Amino acid sequence: MAEYSNSKEEYYRLARRKRMFAVVCMVLTVVAFFASLTVGFYKVSIGEAIGIISDHLHGTISDIQADSIIFNSRLPIAIFAIIAGAALSAGGAVMQTILRNPLADPYTMGISSGASLGATIAIIMGTSLWAGFSNSEFIVVMAFLFSLIPVGVILLFSIKRKTTSTKIILIGIAVMYMFSAIVSLLMVTASEDTLSEIYAWRVGTLALVSWGDILIPLVGTVGCLTLLMVSNRRINVLMSGANCAQSLGVDPKRTTLIQMVIISVMTAVVVSFCGTIGFIGLVGPHVARIFVGSESKMLIPASAAFGSVFLLVANSIASVSGPYGLPVGVVSAIIGCPLFIFILIKMRRNAWK
Amino acid sequence: MKVTISGLEFGYSSSPVLKDVNLEVNGPQLISIIGPNGVGKSTLIHCINKILSPTKGVVMINGEDVNGISIKEMAKKVGYVPYATSDAFPLSVVDTVLMGRHPHSGWKSLDHDLDVVYSTLKLINIEHLAMRSFDELSAGQHQKVMLARGLVQEPEVLLLDEPTSNLDIKHQMEVTRILRNLSQEKGILIIMISHDLNIAAKYSDNMVMLSNGSIYAVGTPKEVLTKENIKAVYGVDSEIIESHGRPHIIMLDSEFDDVSEPLPPESFVSGRKVVEEHMERGTRVRDIIEEQS
Repeated sequence: MAEYSNSKEEYYRLARRKRMFAVVCMVLTVVAFFASLTVGFYKVSIGEAIGIISDHLHGTISDIQADSIIFNSRLPIAIFAIIAGAALSAGGAVMQTILRNPLADPYTMGISSGASLGATIAIIMGTSLWAGFSNSEFIVVMAFLFSLIPVGVILLFSIKRKTTSTKIILIGIAVMYMFSAIVSLLMVTASEDTLSEIYAWRVGTLALVSWGDILIPLVGTVGCLTLLMVSNRRINVLMSGANCAQSLGVDPKRTTLIQMVIISVMTAVVVSFCGTIGFIGLVGPHVARIFVGSESKMLIPASAAFGSVFLLVANSIASVSGPYGLPVGVVSAIIGCPLFIFILIKMRRNAWK
Repeated sequence: MKVTISGLEFGYSSSPVLKDVNLEVNGPQLISIIGPNGVGKSTLIHCINKILSPTKGVVMINGEDVNGISIKEMAKKVGYVPYATSDAFPLSVVDTVLMGRHPHSGWKSLDHDLDVVYSTLKLINIEHLAMRSFDELSAGQHQKVMLARGLVQEPEVLLLDEPTSNLDIKHQMEVTRILRNLSQEKGILIIMISHDLNIAAKYSDNMVMLSNGSIYAVGTPKEVLTKENIKAVYGVDSEIIESHGRPHIIMLDSEFDDVSEPLPPESFVSGRKVVEEHMERGTRVRDIIEEQS
């Protein structure tokens, strides 16, 4: 069918142009990655930072203090920012698509409030229930387990009943309010030290990330992103609504639930380590949509790439703000929201209805 | 392509919507399902494509019970074009139509799917819309894009829920004509729900008239659209005339025949510019401005 080669060429050309957005974001991610190693109270140049890392890898550490700051603190934080940004933003993109709602984000199903509750309980109890867990590990485990409760509730609910996307969002919000109330209740009884720790966790910060916190989020995020990309056509079809999806050969209920479990796990592995970083899962996908449209094969990687570079930059700014740095969640919202509103106003075409 | 429905019954919780529906349709043709609102037309269509499962009875496609057909296999046999769609995140026309290729997608190439999509767009004369965003289109164009999506599924049976509902007369005729022609050219059994009896009568090969959840009449437009049937099913008086070999319905309203009574003088409509009109009537411009504010 050579007669359509011109039309197809036009389609492919547009696809290539859309892919460029993700490529540009990835290049910016690399730049931001090295830049983020240099900023903070201990200032080094990019060359020095690379030198310090190279020294560490070759076992020729010259300056122990520099090595500890660059290699053991800033490097894992930068890597974690890339992972977390990609996970939260791509998760948001798929969540919005399958629930057909531009207000959905990875936390829609109460993942963040579940994680907060788990972490709060762990922080208040202070000591580990199970032998072999340190305090911080215990917080991670509790946050992870609790963050999966809401999706479990939705799964149980939808075994017997018809589950519409609106219902899923409402259940998520109901669970969120309930969990937040329990957290507030626990905070009333908590001591002052515990309170500030709970508070820091709820806002979300990367400052405490170390090398030990990289492996699980990395494996979880890469695995889940791969699964989402494999299902990109099915995710697209879900956009047409439950009845249409079924008539196009996709089981709407099963596919929605499977994708939700994948997003929940991907979000939970990240959130359990860094606390709930808001904003990016909601806005990252929308910025990507403006550039590449809503087709999932383009949108998922574009959202992930944008999420990475955005969180890296936000975290660099957070780390040099104030005498002790600020939680990244605060900075990403303060910078990101006006930026987002500006883009919305300036935008000529709507990427959504 | 043969659809057989026997002893079909469907109810939402307590009240039955469909009861004892028996229907057999065969061969490529355009069939219209007609009947008043809430009579169960959409329910019937959804029982055929497995979106709803009937409380009782069997639906068979080519002699195969639809309950035994997987969702993906079903999508290769039966296409569905919904009543008015609103996508939260509009895609381009090509990407929207491309969704229809999903049931056929293995690891097959996007390139082949694009060939199918573009040839279908050409078939229904909307190739020029290919790269446009779905939400920029008019209602008539929407309907054609949704039709294209149903067609690229390469189904044997295509179901449409009120495909001409928000269209102007030209587009109503165009879409229905395309459907009639497609049924013959592509050898598809096309079943559509319609509220416009005259459009349905003009283009359909056969009609199914529903009343109170059951089939009231089946046959050619001439057989189904009689004065008596329309009175019994819709409760509307009518006159049937014949135009180009097809029945044409003229609706009569016994409760409204005082059209000849003149309007009171202050009710009028005018298409002329407001100022001109007032000048003619001798009103000063200042009065007009005061009047308007």
